[in-house]
Amino acid sequence: MESSSSSTVTQREQLMVEQRVFQIYRLLAEMPRSSQSFMLEVQRDSHIEYLTNGLRGLSPSFCVLDANRPWLCYWILHSLALLEGSIDDELENNAIDFLCRCQDPSGGYAGGPGQMPHLATTYAAVNSLISLGGHRALSSIHRDSIYAFLRQMKQPNGGFRMHDGGEVDVRACYTAISVASILNILDDRLVEYVGDYILSCQTHEGGIAGEPGSEAHGGYTYCGFATMILINEVDCLNVAALMDWVVFRQGVECGFQGRINKLVDGCYSFWQGGVCALLQRSYPIINGLDSSESEEDSDAGSLSSATSDVCEGEHAVEGTLPQADAETCQHTWEGFVNTLAPVNLNDIGDKFLERNAKMGPPFNSVALQQYILLCSQLQEGGFRDKPGKARDFYHTCYCLSGLSACQYSWSEDLDFPPAPQAVLGPYSNLLEPIHPLYNVVLRRYHEAREFFASA
Amino acid sequence: MHGRPRMAPNPEDAAASAAKSQKLRSLQSQFLSFHHSRTYTKEALEISAKLLEINPENYTAWNYRKLAVEHCVKESESDPSSVKSIFDKELKVVESALRQNFKSYGAWHHRKWVLSKGHSSIDEELRLLDKLQKQDSRNFHAWNYRRFVAALMNRSIEDELKYTENLIENNFSNYSAWHNRSILLSELVKKKDQGSSTQDVLSEEYNFVRDALFTDPDDQSAWFYHLWLLQQTIQSKAPLLVSSWPANGADLRVSGNGCLGGASGLFSRLSSDLRRFPLVLFFNQNVEGISSLTVTVEASFITSKDLTWKSLSPKTSRFGRVWVAYLDISSVDLDYLNPQKVVVRLGHCPGIMSSSGLPLSKPFRLEYTIAAKPIETKSSGRHENEIFQWKEDDFHNSEGQLEESIPRLLYTRAVEDNDEAAASRWHIDTMTEEINHVRVLLASSDCKIGKLMLARLLMARDDMLSPYANKMAHSEEVLELYRDLIRLDPPHSHYYKDQSSLVLMQQLVSSRDSLLKHCFCYEGIKSSSIDGPVCLRLNNLSLSRVGSFEKLLWVHILDLSDNELHSIQGIEALQLLSCLNLRSNKLTSFSALEPLRSLKCLRALNISYNEIGSHPIDTCRYLVTSPLSHSAEISWNRDEDLPDGVDVENYWEAFLVFKDLDLVQLDIAGNPVADERFQSFLVKITPELTWLDGQKLH
Repeated sequence: MESSSSSTVTQREQLMVEQRVFQIYRLLAEMPRSSQSFMLEVQRDSHIEYLTNGLRGLSPSFCVLDANRPWLCYWILHSLALLEGSIDDELENNAIDFLCRCQDPSGGYAGGPGQMPHLATTYAAVNSLISLGGHRALSSIHRDSIYAFLRQMKQPNGGFRMHDGGEVDVRACYTAISVASILNILDDRLVEYVGDYILSCQTHEGGIAGEPGSEAHGGYTYCGFATMILINEVDCLNVAALMDWVVFRQGVECGFQGRINKLVDGCYSFWQGGVCALLQRSYPIINGLDSSESEEDSDAGSLSSATSDVCEGEHAVEGTLPQADAETCQHTWEGFVNTLAPVNLNDIGDKFLERNAKMGPPFNSVALQQYILLCSQLQEGGFRDKPGKARDFYHTCYCLSGLSACQYSWSEDLDFPPAPQAVLGPYSNLLEPIHPLYNVVLRRYHEAREFFASA
Repeated sequence: MHGRPRMAPNPEDAAASAAKSQKLRSLQSQFLSFHHSRTYTKEALEISAKLLEINPENYTAWNYRKLAVEHCVKESESDPSSVKSIFDKELKVVESALRQNFKSYGAWHHRKWVLSKGHSSIDEELRLLDKLQKQDSRNFHAWNYRRFVAALMNRSIEDELKYTENLIENNFSNYSAWHNRSILLSELVKKKDQGSSTQDVLSEEYNFVRDALFTDPDDQSAWFYHLWLLQQTIQSKAPLLVSSWPANGADLRVSGNGCLGGASGLFSRLSSDLRRFPLVLFFNQNVEGISSLTVTVEASFITSKDLTWKSLSPKTSRFGRVWVAYLDISSVDLDYLNPQKVVVRLGHCPGIMSSSGLPLSKPFRLEYTIAAKPIETKSSGRHENEIFQWKEDDFHNSEGQLEESIPRLLYTRAVEDNDEAAASRWHIDTMTEEINHVRVLLASSDCKIGKLMLARLLMARDDMLSPYANKMAHSEEVLELYRDLIRLDPPHSHYYKDQSSLVLMQQLVSSRDSLLKHCFCYEGIKSSSIDGPVCLRLNNLSLSRVGSFEKLLWVHILDLSDNELHSIQGIEALQLLSCLNLRSNKLTSFSALEPLRSLKCLRALNISYNEIGSHPIDTCRYLVTSPLSHSAEISWNRDEDLPDGVDVENYWEAFLVFKDLDLVQLDIAGNPVADERFQSFLVKITPELTWLDGQKLH
């Protein structure tokens, strides 16, 4: 192997990042306690100002994102929701009107008015409107036409196309399924073979790639894993291997990398941290669906038992579990019964929350908070990939989402505030909890859920 | 979503950027009007090209160009050269878009679309890729496109391997190149079929990755690849039956009431009138397809069809390493003088497969006999008052007696079989060579990953050499390596501790002599006729996990007290287990006891002085990544009636474990959960319970 210099480019870059990050951590360690707390504070007001300004006049330099404007709305509005920042009525109305103009008459949202509808921007627009909340925002979403659009994008191999004539990948699957699920329009026809497609993207590393043959990647792992949970097929994945892959993506810098031997990046605080949050709650899903088992267990002379082990898995997947007996359910408890109840695809997101986390975070959540607050956060507002990079709304959104996931990572139940030791820095750092499957603030999720259940 | 917005680097550029933005906006609106009016003139096409050059993310414009191409091709159908020039123009547009944004989904997709139409030369593509991949060798769009192009032009796998080789030589940390190599090599191996040429490929690959490992042992990319390679080497192994209960050649003696001797006789209620006993098959890996069709059982009293096979794997999967079926002998008139012969065959007809799709390596045949015990003792009602106590004085190590109790055949061969090695000479040589190389590497560097790899290689080779006998030639060295690792890499010490516990277990069961040292006669319950039952005592060994169950299928009484167990996964294979001592371990929750649910014979359980209930969430189980179960099954038949007033809501984990057990005796003191309320809950859900924490219940 050629080695004119003793190290590779990759290694030199890694070393530089480490030095930079450790320098910051040393600085923290040498500070008096009182100033430490200041360094670790979420600069709420600066962030809100940065975000609100962004929403007000998307600066000219964002022109490249002209095909991605609903994304900008989502990154900003979701960040504001996490920070509990409010926006004035005029801005809110402008945002709703703008997104309405992106909505295609034949279904779905485009990257900007007049463009073609696209799955990713549909996800961004729907999540933006949910993050805003309120009747006006929610009722502006045309569910019937979105459903028609999703069906059009559906491919015979189970995957989805990003847009008419566009690419098929795991991202498209997630955005389609997430939108359908949160809007209460998910059905078997949308779900058909999606699981097989995602499965074909899980690599020998354990994580999930964007398309078959590619290498495992944090963003796609989140998308693929969340999709599998939303369609109730998570038990088909090799979850153990996925767990092994994701936990080793947190490095000495305390943040996450997106792929093996890549540099740390603040945005993976959510993509990888979100996978961890999902893992914590998917434990009962992975295991809870098998009720045919007890037939044999309770029957001593089970020679006549007709249930063969071979079909158990399939039973669970197809949702052909025996119907719940309403009376028996009465004297049980909600969370657990849900794992046994027949599967209603559109309830999965809701039921997911009722399952308490059955294990602690499979990563160091305090260390990750340290990376986000010290290395990604800018005191003047906004978050970035890593020290030396510029802030942007994408990183602001996913650093904040990751931070929220960390703060609640020790909570069994997201409805209760976490213990003080789970939150790094002053307790006032606490953000709103998110729904880890859709990445919208939990309160907004509940509001939307209620709205679309009755609509 | 993952495409980062590219921003103007400095605010000073604001003016320039505003002008650019103005230009873009005007292009954008011109383009949209052409798009909506379906105008495909030269001028219109030029506008969209300019737009894409500045903003490659404009997927609508890419689509517009697709429609335009189709339109123009239709117009010029007769002329192949003008068709070609239409497509060539597209390639140019994509190229300049990629120069602007290398990560544009739309641009890459458009290029794929153009090439798949088949009017353009592919030769240019690799040159373009080389150029782009030099700028960012880990761009996954480019790698995906590279695989697409290579497939389209039928480029040889060897050529592509050569390309990754060049990239790796340039930067051996480039994991994307290693990853693509794994994809290519899998294809190559598939093509070459089995046999020696596959082995040549793998051998060469070991040489290649070794160079990288020796250049910098601390770089993770090559190690991940090495691990993949190792999996390819080991994985090709076909499934084997490694042990069974009853063992081949066993002569079972059943007491009149159906008990199998051993400890089962201790408790009258165990035997009641069950008269069923297990047939356990233990494989070297997960297999599927164990059923009455693939396993034939011949005996005068039973036919294969009567048997229901069940995997003991904790997952709801169709694969499992351990399979069990219960034989019902209630209608058999057992006799002391006429043993009943049972013959079990498997692998004679296809259907049993490993998870990688390999069939059973060869057919297996087991034969054993069942007969009644020579002397029948009528044990009266005294059992009611018997309690199994784990007192030190009650255990005696008297070898003569024990000789009889451990299945004699355990260390000959579990199954009938010609003396053929499970792994080929090549496999063993390859492992040996890798071991030597890693040793050399470690001589000059204290590399953590290297040590872990050496430990894995040594274990894998020992396993290859003797899949049945478990001869642990290198266990001392492996244990030493794990001790080093615990010291060098404290954050993952749990993982290393688990691994070394498993090695220690393998060492303990590796020979009859070493196992005998841990076998004791239990004389706590004096029975007039039978010798005290045999107890396997693996207490006080600092074990954090247990394993090697394939050698322990005969065990009735197991003492695992005073260890550091946080998991007992795998214990479900011990279907005869009736007394289990887990006192003073580190079990933190009832879900850790999940494997006990499959133990139908378990009557006495001691889980006192653990940490059950101390953590609201079962935390330590997942913090370390280890191949232990990341899952356990939970099942509950909703129609089951609950006794009145059972506090299931607060103790549902406990409920799920205990509801399936017929415990007569339970010790649970010394756990945070064990208060009076919990005790009364236990009494309600386990009606058979007679002794709780040494107190007789009424």
